[in-house]
Amino acid sequence: MEETPVLAAVQSGVLTLTLNRPQRLNAMSQPLIAALGEQIARAASDSAIRAVLLTGTGRGFCAGADLAGSGTGAIGADGKPDLGAVMESHYNPLIRSIRALPKPVIGAINGVAAGGGANLALACDIVLAARSARFDQAFVRISLMPDLGGTWFLPHTVGDARARALAMLGTSVPAEEAARMGMVWQVIDDADLMAEATNLARKMAAGPTLSYAAIKQAMNRAGTNTLDQQLDLERDSQRALGKSADFKEGVAAFLAKRAADFKGR
Amino acid sequence: MAYEKILLARDSGLATITLNAPDRLNAVSRKMIAEIKQCWEELAADASVRAVLLTGAGRGFCAGADLADPDRAASATADSGAALEQFFNPVIRAMRSIPKPVVSAVNGVAAGVGMSFALASDIAIAGKSASFLQAFARIGLLPDGGSTWFLPRLVGDQRARALAMLAPQISAEQARQWGLIWDVVDDAALMTTATEIARKLADGPTLALARIKEALNQSTGNDLSQQLDVERDSQRVLGRSDDFKEGVAAFLAKRKADFKGK
Repeated sequence: MEETPVLAAVQSGVLTLTLNRPQRLNAMSQPLIAALGEQIARAASDSAIRAVLLTGTGRGFCAGADLAGSGTGAIGADGKPDLGAVMESHYNPLIRSIRALPKPVIGAINGVAAGGGANLALACDIVLAARSARFDQAFVRISLMPDLGGTWFLPHTVGDARARALAMLGTSVPAEEAARMGMVWQVIDDADLMAEATNLARKMAAGPTLSYAAIKQAMNRAGTNTLDQQLDLERDSQRALGKSADFKEGVAAFLAKRAADFKGR
Repeated sequence: MAYEKILLARDSGLATITLNAPDRLNAVSRKMIAEIKQCWEELAADASVRAVLLTGAGRGFCAGADLADPDRAASATADSGAALEQFFNPVIRAMRSIPKPVVSAVNGVAAGVGMSFALASDIAIAGKSASFLQAFARIGLLPDGGSTWFLPRLVGDQRARALAMLAPQISAEQARQWGLIWDVVDDAALMTTATEIARKLADGPTLALARIKEALNQSTGNDLSQQLDVERDSQRVLGRSDDFKEGVAAFLAKRKADFKGK
């Protein structure tokens, strides 16, 4: 029977994407990556979707590339595996599309996030982790380096010293430790994870979507901009947001001391 | 010049700026930001000033832009970018480029661009009851005053996104744990502690402090090899200063150095 590698459902403005290969701890096959990519593209084009929630079925979030299946791609002309080809065709476009999506992406990390799975988690804007989850830069154990943006996310989230140790030692980091390091926004008891993450995603889906999009874009550029360039970017984005209906509503609500009713416009 | 919305005091090399609209938790009106900008220009040009201390009058540090400011253009065609370009961005640039250390004593809530002022300081110290809030998303904006640049560098990409998007109010202690600020002290001790630190810096090796500031400003855009060159060039300049000569002499004689900022 054909598997459905990614389950997708829309409710209350939230597109929930569930990695669905539980028998493989949701390891990434090429069909899984392709399906995720299609759903992110759908989130980009459908204005009714204002937030994305990413999680996994079963006891794992994502065990990384499926080494036993199609996760590592083709054999090159020299008869050796060409891992770069599948990065270029599948993994990198997915990570780029998550970061570029002008809507918040919330990760609900329900279990182990290993290898590419750990870095798929770090690509999310807000990461909530189950207390039992682990973040595992497993690459070095099979003589690879972190990919799916790991060598960028790590130093930008935990600092250079910890990034080098995590990448070189392949240490498995429990959720609590990940939160202390700043890899994860919050740790939630396993039983409450999906309810909390769904609440947060719905709250954000009812939030100032243009503001979130501008924040994402600004944070994406902050890594390479000088402060001087970033101040110009803030000026231009704030100018655009200042003309939005949600800003008008936000200020009116603030002055009237009531909750704002944002429409994402 | 005379200021109305801020206070400026000078005391042998230490300038203290106090945001002074306590009934508005020092929310920044057009008038106040124009004065703040003017003040930084004045201090940058004053060679006798060797350190700056920034704080707020009353129970707040700075509540951010004053949304109820009668001078604020609130029409649908209002240009939020213009105020940044004319006033706020020049202030942040001035705080980062002034060749003197800037210390913030965060005496209460630091919200919106008020938090950006604290983050733009070289050293921020908060009272225990102070709090920090990137309020912008609550009214449909993005963090400004450089916060989209400061946050990821101070707390990393993950926490930066959450602080900007979810706009939670965080305690001074949490801010210290995450590295947003240098230290937290009891409210009653805040001004004494912050003034001691600012005083020590005002009496310190001003040229070295300026070069430290400049090098750290550049470090985030440089690769290590470029930064080694920056250090070489600045150390060469500092090696010719009077304060270096005095520093070495004092070290060898096991006495306290008497730096002149030259």
